[in-house]
Amino acid sequence: MATNRQVEKQKVAIYADAMFKTADEVGGKDAVLEVRNQLRSIRHLMYSDMDLSMALGSSEYTAAERRTLAEAAFADCHIAFREVVAMMAERGDIEDLTKVYFAYASLMEQKLRLCVCDVVTAVPLDDDLRTLIKEKVQADLGLEAALNESVDASILGGIIMSVNGMRIDASMISQLNRARYTLKETDGGES
Amino acid sequence: MRTRAKKAGLIGVAACALTAALPVLAFAAEGEEEAGGLSVILPDMLEFVPMLLAFIILWIILAKFGWPMFNGMLEKRESTIREALKKSEEAKIESERMLAEYKEQLASAKAEATQVVADARATGEAVKADIEAKAHAEAADMIAKAKVSIEAEKKAALAELQASIADTSIDVAQKIIGQDLSDAEHRAIIERYVKEAGSFNGN
Repeated sequence: MATNRQVEKQKVAIYADAMFKTADEVGGKDAVLEVRNQLRSIRHLMYSDMDLSMALGSSEYTAAERRTLAEAAFADCHIAFREVVAMMAERGDIEDLTKVYFAYASLMEQKLRLCVCDVVTAVPLDDDLRTLIKEKVQADLGLEAALNESVDASILGGIIMSVNGMRIDASMISQLNRARYTLKETDGGES
Repeated sequence: MRTRAKKAGLIGVAACALTAALPVLAFAAEGEEEAGGLSVILPDMLEFVPMLLAFIILWIILAKFGWPMFNGMLEKRESTIREALKKSEEAKIESERMLAEYKEQLASAKAEATQVVADARATGEAVKADIEAKAHAEAADMIAKAKVSIEAEKKAALAELQASIADTSIDVAQKIIGQDLSDAEHRAIIERYVKEAGSFNGN
């Protein structure tokens, strides 16, 4: 007899698989990556916008109303993403979106040997740096990397790379903060 | 004592005889005035004999009854005096014994008092030493606590100063990095960091 946890896991796997297969069939690797990025963005949006997340999961709305709301909210997203998220909202499973995101990333690795490396830098990357980062991911994880680049001047310099929750923070702001912490915590050589 | 009593008895007898003779002399004086000559000094037999008889009878009575009583009184008095002397002697011995005992007790009391004073002095010295030791210990403890407190405040001040310096230094470094690095320098740094960074899989 399946436990609730197993049922939940199967449900998440079904959502992720449907989203992945639809995206792959519709647009191949690019569509898969696009859906992955949209999943990531909407996941963050659901954390920051409580009204949206509560409305999509609220039992005060009917299933049809929740589906309609999801379709309207994500009208500009990829059809694979939009349809699956609308189904999740209709069934009251929108709170599983984060689990679906990780299951989707896992499917990308398993079926396409592909992962997305989120890269944050203070200046835009050039092609040499992109190649260097992809080679590093290939060497470390054995996966082809698609870079999701973003520029953030607040990190001052250096780079922050993250793949499926694994994170390498080589930014200058982090190093300066570590230096600040070390300077404050060191007792000045006195015993 | 007994001799003295007998002498007293004889003196009594002579006195009685004199007493008995005096009336005879009185009568003789009266007779001399009447008769004169030797008869003046000779007793009148008619008076002398009864007087003698009376004297003898009185003497017998006194010897029979008075003398034993008198002698008993003397003996009793002697016995009383002897007993008193004996008691006095015993009292003297007892008093001497008690005096010796008191002297001994006094000496013992003096020794005890001396010992008490010595003990009190020793106790006082010990208490004084104890108080001094405690005072020294408390003073040392206070000094140690003060040193710890001063050290802690010094460390806190140093830490605050250090933090302030660290914040200032880092802020300056941030401004320098943000303003002075060109894009090419940024990319060179990124390249170096990617090469030097650790692995994603933790190896």
